[in-house]
Amino acid sequence: MRTTFFSKKTESASLLLGDAVYTVLDTELTGLDMKKDSIVSIGAVRMKGTRIDIGNSFYRLIHPAGRMDHKNILIHGITPSEVEEEPVVDAVLDDLSAFCGNSVIVGHFVSLDINFINRELKRTGRAKLKNAAVDTCKIYEWIKSSEGAFSRHYSARQDELDLFSLAREYNITFNEGHNALGDAFITAQLFQRFLYALPGLGVNSIRDLLKTGKA
Amino acid sequence: MTVKEVKDFLSSIQPFQELDDAALGNIAGGVIVEFYPKDTLILQQDGPPSDFLRIIKKGGVKVFIKPDINEEVIIDYRSEGDSFGLLSLIRGDKSRANVTAVEDTICYLVTKETIQLLLDSNAAFSEYFLKSFLNKYIDKTFSEMHSKSLLYGGGDKLLFTTPVGELASRTAVTVPQEVSIKDAAEVMSKRKISSLVLVDQDNLPAGIVTDRDLRDKVVSKGRNVADPISSIMSVPLMTTEARDYCFEALLKMIRHNIHHLLVVDEGKLKGILTNHDLMMLQGTSPISIVRDIETRQSVEDLVPVSKKINRIVHLLLKEGARAGNITRIISEINDRLLRKVLEIAERKFGEPPVNYCFIVFGSEGRKEQTFKTDQDNAIIYEDPKSAAEGIKAEEYFEGFSAFVKEALVLCGFPNCPAGYMASNPKWRQPLIIWKDYFAKWIHTPTPDSLLLSLIFFDFRPVHGDISLSEKLRSHLKKTMKDQNIFFARMAGTIMNNRPPLGFFKSFIVEKSGEHKDELNLKFRGIGPIVDIARLFALEKGLSETSTIDRLRALKDKHPIIMELGEEIEQAFEFISLLRVHHQIGLMERSLEPDNFINPNNLSGLEKKSLKESFQLVLNIQEAISELYRPGMVSM
Repeated sequence: MRTTFFSKKTESASLLLGDAVYTVLDTELTGLDMKKDSIVSIGAVRMKGTRIDIGNSFYRLIHPAGRMDHKNILIHGITPSEVEEEPVVDAVLDDLSAFCGNSVIVGHFVSLDINFINRELKRTGRAKLKNAAVDTCKIYEWIKSSEGAFSRHYSARQDELDLFSLAREYNITFNEGHNALGDAFITAQLFQRFLYALPGLGVNSIRDLLKTGKA
Repeated sequence: MTVKEVKDFLSSIQPFQELDDAALGNIAGGVIVEFYPKDTLILQQDGPPSDFLRIIKKGGVKVFIKPDINEEVIIDYRSEGDSFGLLSLIRGDKSRANVTAVEDTICYLVTKETIQLLLDSNAAFSEYFLKSFLNKYIDKTFSEMHSKSLLYGGGDKLLFTTPVGELASRTAVTVPQEVSIKDAAEVMSKRKISSLVLVDQDNLPAGIVTDRDLRDKVVSKGRNVADPISSIMSVPLMTTEARDYCFEALLKMIRHNIHHLLVVDEGKLKGILTNHDLMMLQGTSPISIVRDIETRQSVEDLVPVSKKINRIVHLLLKEGARAGNITRIISEINDRLLRKVLEIAERKFGEPPVNYCFIVFGSEGRKEQTFKTDQDNAIIYEDPKSAAEGIKAEEYFEGFSAFVKEALVLCGFPNCPAGYMASNPKWRQPLIIWKDYFAKWIHTPTPDSLLLSLIFFDFRPVHGDISLSEKLRSHLKKTMKDQNIFFARMAGTIMNNRPPLGFFKSFIVEKSGEHKDELNLKFRGIGPIVDIARLFALEKGLSETSTIDRLRALKDKHPIIMELGEEIEQAFEFISLLRVHHQIGLMERSLEPDNFINPNNLSGLEKKSLKESFQLVLNIQEAISELYRPGMVSM
């Protein structure tokens, strides 16, 4: 599955990468079907430039509307009984929108997460997220292809593009247990590395970063 | 989740592990995670002040200064669990050093406010930081005192043991705050003081005026000296409790950029403390002991001084100085005491008939003494020109050495049980005999002679005609050159003393006896490293005798040390420090210092470091057994 880049105009487009505020986001879902599945948890961490602001994070478990699939219970480790007591998605949406503010949203295959979130926002009559959003997977592919023909042949480009394979490539340590906040934190660290690599490849502003995604 | 990760990490490192759970949670919640690719310049010398305390989560940094464009002085390497940028953070002034990531590095950034709060509210926390940072980033004035100090600047440790009240003997001079600037200045110049405390109607301190205020606010501004002194006084007054340790006072001075503190004892003004007082404390104390030694003229007079030395050394030791510095300070003081004893002996016995050199060896020769060091010494004297002169020399040095031995016993150096002392006729000989001893030991290495060479080849001169010692050293170098059998034998003794680390990385301890479940740090930890450094140093013909000096000199000469020199130096430093701290602990409980520790009583980090140190030694021993053919090393 390939995601597209959201390139909505925001005031932050001219900001330098190091000056922008980011929301690095991840969701856990009951499945990938937009029609049937729903959100189980949302995790997000704040980044200001290259700095990850650990204490400033967002994490909510949600009582899903649909049934929970056994296969996915094994992946995210959240059992139906655990979310029974949690608020339904509506209650969380306002908090999430506030947390995102007008920051740039960052995530791995993030369009999937945003699609689910926007579906819920729309369903409950709320305004969709219109933030600029970038996909760490796309940035990764762009960086690899920009490092030139030579390195394309010789660098250890991942065949697996999932978050954990990339984290391993960049020597980012993580625990195996999945959790939306933990994964958001790993994504943030991955994005942190990219923020250091991008200026060397001519990507300096948020506008550049968004273009990079489209390429 | 992620906050918990940070919290767990902080709770595993000094000094955060001193904090309670709630405090740790608070800090962890405020942490910022930053990544620095390899070679990133994180802090720049003379650049903007450090804005955070940076704790290294992963990776490592190099702290260095550039006194000159082409010169780089490395102050320190820091790695996982270490931090940097503290002093500049507290003082809010420019960074004192450059800090560069030597590999990809992740740092936890803790804000200035958080650190200030911890420093103010938690004594253990502030003490830890001051200790570790003072040594490295000490104020310029202090570092100048350091370089002048004869004793390697160990004096700053007194900062941590001396209460302010003991130092601030100077009484504070007070005047009413209504008096004129002129009158106040007159009082200062009459009393020859650099500061004046101003009091209000109730005789309570209201402010302070210092030389600096007169200079900055009066003279340079052309202010009318008839103005009341209160118009130029500094407020609020910073005070320190008489029972506070000096380092706390120093911290206050640094943080508020002031040079005077009022010393308060039970609510009453007791005196005034200046940064000059602290400097004197740092610089002169060890020197004054040395001077004290110099003034003594008899052995009886020396005995009380030698006891005093022990007390001061005890203080130095208690305060977490590097083991290498501690042992050097002890050696330096012991050398001076020994020289004094020899001078007294020379006066008593008259001019020696021939020149001589008094040498020490063993740990004394390596400058690696701690407490309770046995005598290990000998006399080399000039080859007599005639049989008569030879007899005269024998007679002279017999009485002389017996006197020195007894004097040293009185000064707290017990006899060497194996009799390696100049009082033993075998170990006071003319140069020619010494050369012969050494040659024999090298050419026919029996187990006994090998043992002797391990002890004696670490010799260094302490007093007398140094050239005799130098001649013996160069003879030793020449004789040892290419003596592969000798070196293989020496390597063999190294193989026979393995660090006590079992197959499953567990410590091997004594199975029974007085030291059941303990291990001997000196013989099984320090010994193997000393032996390795000696083997390589002798082989390369180096004159250095201390283990650290040998390792440093070998860095560009020996492939193994080239690769592992820094690590082995750290291991040596670590085990030595562990031993010294253990001995201090025993002495505080009025027990005899020994070398046995129970590894179960070590902290997790200490255990880990000790195991890593042992493993490193094992690896080097493996490499040595590869280098020296196995057939040659059997004893």
